[in-house]
Amino acid sequence: MSVTELTPPEAARWAHRAGLSLPAERHAAVASVANHIQKVVAVLRELDFGETPTATASAAPADRVKWKGMADGAL
Amino acid sequence: MEPFELTLTGAAAAIRARELSPVELVDSVLDRIERVEPELGAYATVCAERARRAAREAEAEVRASAEAEARAGAEAARIRGPLHGIPMALKDLIDVAGMATSASSRVRDGHRAPADSAVAARLAGAGAVLLGKTHTHEFAYGLITPQTRNAWDRGKVAGGSSGGSAVAVASGTATFALGTDTGGSIRVPAALNGVVGLKPTYDLVPRDGVTSLSWSLDHVGPITRTVADAAPVLAALTGDAPAPCHQGDQGAELAGLRVGVPHNYYFDHVDPEVEAAVRRAIGRLKDLGAQLVGVDIPMTRYVQATQWGLMVPEATAYHEGTLRSAPELYQEDVRTLLEAGELLPAGDYLRARRAQALMREEWGRLLERVDVIAAPTVPMTAVAAGQASVTWPDGTLEAVSDAYVRLSAPANITGVPALTLPVGHDAAGLPIGMQLLGRPLGEHTLLRVGHAYERTRPVRAALAPTA
Repeated sequence: MSVTELTPPEAARWAHRAGLSLPAERHAAVASVANHIQKVVAVLRELDFGETPTATASAAPADRVKWKGMADGAL
Repeated sequence: MEPFELTLTGAAAAIRARELSPVELVDSVLDRIERVEPELGAYATVCAERARRAAREAEAEVRASAEAEARAGAEAARIRGPLHGIPMALKDLIDVAGMATSASSRVRDGHRAPADSAVAARLAGAGAVLLGKTHTHEFAYGLITPQTRNAWDRGKVAGGSSGGSAVAVASGTATFALGTDTGGSIRVPAALNGVVGLKPTYDLVPRDGVTSLSWSLDHVGPITRTVADAAPVLAALTGDAPAPCHQGDQGAELAGLRVGVPHNYYFDHVDPEVEAAVRRAIGRLKDLGAQLVGVDIPMTRYVQATQWGLMVPEATAYHEGTLRSAPELYQEDVRTLLEAGELLPAGDYLRARRAQALMREEWGRLLERVDVIAAPTVPMTAVAAGQASVTWPDGTLEAVSDAYVRLSAPANITGVPALTLPVGHDAAGLPIGMQLLGRPLGEHTLLRVGHAYERTRPVRAALAPTA
């Protein structure tokens, strides 16, 4: 999955937009790590999510009842 | 055998039988800390006086219980349970009232926790004795724990981020410990140091008062010397009854159990010695009556992307304030990750949250077909301190931290429970771990399977061969 890489000045500008001032000597290192992270997570764009909502913070109560029952019966 | 060498269940039985007092046990472990801790660096803080005071109180309760029994002619009073008087350590992300939660970071200089975390309070209520706080990779954001050395070979990494807790348990400087696990941080150091680590089902153990790395992925759980030891700690953390550890006929102990053996992912890019040890251990499960079932692990292409897509922005959000007010106090590796996390668009985070939902569904279907899945915990044993990457036989270069997270992360994303237990050593004598993954809330099954395996092993030295 190809991603558009941020240059060090762009990384500094994006950080500034997010409210974080980066010292000049950090621009290159932060841009490099940010580009690597972006490359890793960009693969998620391949997925067809359909109507899938974001994951809930915890399993739904009905699921917990189902899994508890299966767990109790496993051995 | 010295008291510090006892397993939790061994020590608990001795205390219950009044063959060992909590004071003798705690003194023995504190002496052990004095002898080996300077070379291991497992602890951020040791609170010896507090531990001795708590041990004396625990001993007084045992005495009072015995006197009540004598007066009543029967067991009229009970000690608090299997953790009564047992010395333990907490990863230094876990709050204890009045003590610093350093997170092994200068950012937390001068910190004092205002109250006990839920888990610290539950362990204290169960009678466990706090020895101190153990080192973490700074704020749990790493897989190495550079302050701490491997219990088996001091030139090797401890693993992380709960490296201090695993090394303390492996070296006899804590009878058990707690760690946290966001991408393998209980299981990785437990495997690399030859001890048992349990990452429970997401949200089963409360995280109140525990410093977060990533709210969607964080778990708290025990690190112990044996699987049998993990059961009473989990019970104390959840308030449930301990899982009964089967002691019956070993021949068919796992009859009817379906063990999933992955065709893909979990044995890819795995050291041959690790693979051989884990497959031998799976063979033992079959000998115990389990049915082995080949399974395909779903959505493996998206594991790292989902893990990073959740963890990176959540960690940055947690540290938003101090990243602006005192960024120079972070270690360079952690600071750069936190800063880079500011640049990840919300759309990527939301995709990761939706991918997490899809992955939970797919794993749910998989776990309707099998009771547990057995796999390596980490693809290779402990690497040399300072080693940054590993090259696999097909020429693939992988960062050490990526390799250590790779087989652990699916259980963090899906929230299923995962147990690591030692199943052998490589030619250099370094421990190898097998991971058992179960259904949500299926901890009892994991513990029973792990314990059944544990009982087939030849007697071995419980502790790492430290001085």
